[in-house]
Amino acid sequence: MLAFELFTWWYGQGWAQLSKNVRHRIVGTSNMFSVPILIQTLFSPWKRIITYPGASIDAKLRAFGDNMVSRAVGFTVRVLVLLAAAIMLLIVSIAAIIEVVAWPLVPIMALILLVKGITG
Amino acid sequence: MNEQGQNTPTLPEPQGPAMPTAGRTRPGAVSGGLDLYTVRARKARLARKLGKHFYTVYMYGALVWAVVAIGLYSLGPTAAWQRAGYIVGFVSLAWFMLSLWYRDDLASLPPSGKDIVDQLSGDVLGRLDPRKPLSPHEVWSAIAKHWQVMFFCNHLLLPSDLIKDHLSTQEADSAAVWNEATRLASASESNVIDAGYVAAALIRTSPQVLEILTHMKLTDKDVEHISGWLGRALEDFRRDKPYFGGIGRDWANGFTPQLNRFGHNISLAIETNGSHYGWLADSPGVSSIKGAFAQGASSVALIGADGIGKTSHVYALAQVLLENKSNPALAHRQIIGLNPSLILSSARGPGDLEFIVTNLMVEAAHAGNIVLFLDDAQLFFGSGPGSFDATQILLPILQNRAVQMIMAMTPNDFQRLKMNNQAFAGLLTPVVLQEPGENDVMRILEDTALALEGQHHLFIAYEAIREAYRLSGRYDQDTAYPGKAIRLLEHSLSHASGNVITATSVQEAIEQTHGVKVGAAAPVEADELLHLEDKIHQRMINQVHAVNVVAAALRRARAGVANPKRPIGSFLFLGPTGVGKTELAKSIAAVYFKDETNMIRLDMSEYQQPDDVQRLLSSGANESKSLILAVRERPFSVVLLDEIEKAHPNILNLLLQLLDEGQLTDAGGRAASFKDCIIICTSNAGADTIRDRVTKGESLESFEDQFTDQLINSGQFKPELLNRFDEIVLFRPLKPEELTQVVALMMAEVNKVLANQNISVELTPAASGKIVQAGYDPRLGARPMRRMLQRTVEDSIAARILAGQANPGDHVVLDVTDLDFSKK
Repeated sequence: MLAFELFTWWYGQGWAQLSKNVRHRIVGTSNMFSVPILIQTLFSPWKRIITYPGASIDAKLRAFGDNMVSRAVGFTVRVLVLLAAAIMLLIVSIAAIIEVVAWPLVPIMALILLVKGITG
Repeated sequence: MNEQGQNTPTLPEPQGPAMPTAGRTRPGAVSGGLDLYTVRARKARLARKLGKHFYTVYMYGALVWAVVAIGLYSLGPTAAWQRAGYIVGFVSLAWFMLSLWYRDDLASLPPSGKDIVDQLSGDVLGRLDPRKPLSPHEVWSAIAKHWQVMFFCNHLLLPSDLIKDHLSTQEADSAAVWNEATRLASASESNVIDAGYVAAALIRTSPQVLEILTHMKLTDKDVEHISGWLGRALEDFRRDKPYFGGIGRDWANGFTPQLNRFGHNISLAIETNGSHYGWLADSPGVSSIKGAFAQGASSVALIGADGIGKTSHVYALAQVLLENKSNPALAHRQIIGLNPSLILSSARGPGDLEFIVTNLMVEAAHAGNIVLFLDDAQLFFGSGPGSFDATQILLPILQNRAVQMIMAMTPNDFQRLKMNNQAFAGLLTPVVLQEPGENDVMRILEDTALALEGQHHLFIAYEAIREAYRLSGRYDQDTAYPGKAIRLLEHSLSHASGNVITATSVQEAIEQTHGVKVGAAAPVEADELLHLEDKIHQRMINQVHAVNVVAAALRRARAGVANPKRPIGSFLFLGPTGVGKTELAKSIAAVYFKDETNMIRLDMSEYQQPDDVQRLLSSGANESKSLILAVRERPFSVVLLDEIEKAHPNILNLLLQLLDEGQLTDAGGRAASFKDCIIICTSNAGADTIRDRVTKGESLESFEDQFTDQLINSGQFKPELLNRFDEIVLFRPLKPEELTQVVALMMAEVNKVLANQNISVELTPAASGKIVQAGYDPRLGARPMRRMLQRTVEDSIAARILAGQANPGDHVVLDVTDLDFSKK
């Protein structure tokens, strides 16, 4: 009876719950690295470190240059973090796929081990 | 017959969820209305048997078995060892599966259907024994040790065993319990019937337990409130960790070093320490602020009385913005509260202040994700101590809509701002906070109590929370709910009794802070109240009727029988001059308020003009004749209004309001409470009538009603005024023999003064009689006696002291010949 309940849960709610959990884990990883925000602000200046243009052409050019540098710094940092996030997401996703695929095999594996143990 | 060999009772028709269907039950397995042999019930019992550490133990066990299995398989010398390795591998996987099953299914056991068994929490279900008849008594015994049940017992101050002993042992009574538990869970919007709801249902459906609660001045409604309180705590406990934006949230926003120095980052505090403002997140106040910003307002004036929760609303808003539950344009905005005293103290020279404030504004504007919060915003408008005027700096910022700001202020401060700087006030979008109703205040208090319990490691009984609400409303007129009730609850912490805050703790706190008696009268005080007449007669001669009437009214008030929305007592003293009207008022102040200086005395002959009403209601600091100011200074006192008949009719109309509502409102619209005052009006109206009729031998009681009618008919008093007094007290003229007793009382006062010099003085009966004879004037009563005593006794003793004839330790006896009656 106990075994029946366990198997019923394992191939029913348990498997569904696992899928939900891994989905949460992937979303959580993405949130931790602020992926949606970083993509939205990919080309924004780093910490708004910007120079306001003066009246002269020279000042405007200097401000443009400074702000390009700030945006470049911001872009670089964000791309590096997005890369790190991508790697983490890849690892988490592969682990998730393995978990979801392996899950139904666990009871079968257990039975195989039991049969092999008894029959040799 | 069921399987225990007992008759299965006929259950009343269920009103809530359907009872278990026949197809899912083992024949005869229904116990107390529940089928405890369903799969879910079995799983719950299994989880309980396995224990709460099962997952950890089995998961680690599975790992150990796995290592052993691999070891046996790879290192085993024979096939038998390898077979053993397979078997151990099987065990490892079985343990792994069991531990996951326990964690994700058995231990949490989500609700699975519409039957009660499908909705009961696993915690409860696992404790119910299907072999026993499930009476309310049995259910309580099963769940008594559950923390949620202890939550009820601790907050109701009821021992678990006492409740259990009063619960029904009839299985049939359980159906009502399950229905009630379902209703309570549903009322808390919970899809699980937790142990707390079952406990509340057991209490609410038991007439015997409710009777115990009645003795404790609690009702079944209070139990329902506690159930809701627990429901909110569970919801808070089970809420997922909020997502605040991750590591890169603020990379596109500027640095804020100056704001970090001169302000307090509320959002950061919530992010770091968590928050307890969930209940406010959906409040009308927070919604209005969000709405104002969403509609393009750059600055909001958050207007509300002190204590109404302006700061709490801003904290709740900070949480909402962090969680990105609002308008996307406001997502992840940070709220920083500026500290005006820090800004002021950091300004070293002229212009520094402007420089700092300008820098802060520029930084906030540049950062792009900051909402500035100016708590007590009037401090930035140059109003009040510790303030400075930053309006000239803030005005262009408001006009340019460069920075989003929330300015918290009271309605009076907002009015003042509008009067002084209309342009500035016009740029603010006002959001007015309303004082929450009783249910909301109680919810806030309950949630605050939980936080206080956690911080101080004590229990706050529900009766204490209710008492904090009641007493703060009664005695704290200057602050709004919920602030005043929270403050009182916090003050009560120092009056804990054995780590429990009870209603008595709250009463002690308010007695200490307000100097008023609110608790049940202690035996000594009760004895004093019961013998109030004796205490007053130690200072008053005769006037037995007047003293009895007043004492009875005061006893009613102290015993809590009187209307709490009116003054403690209101009396109209009528009678000739010098019969003890003022003396009785002083005696009441001395006996009831413990000091005769606790008296506000106004001579109403000074309020005869229509304009005098304003003087009486003035809230100006320099107005010495303001009744409002006097009562705010001394809210627990006797208010003596002498010669009331001489006051202007407008003032008498005001008196109607005072006697009816127990409060007056000043020119600024602020109420002053007279609910803790004893109002005494005196009048000489009809004094001659009283004197004549008493002289003819009539008793006061015999013509009281007739006399009152006469006062109304003669137009001296309006009937609506006389009807509003608790008692109209007639004073009769004093007889010469009573004046002898008055002289004795006055002599006691003289001796009290002379005690400093260790000299005592005594009058012979002849001397006393002569003083009464010389000072007696039937029109003036005892009033001339004091003057006569001064001219005779005090002058004589003074002369003796100066001549060295009366020295420390002497007892001077004065006879008629020692006194000079020739002086006028």
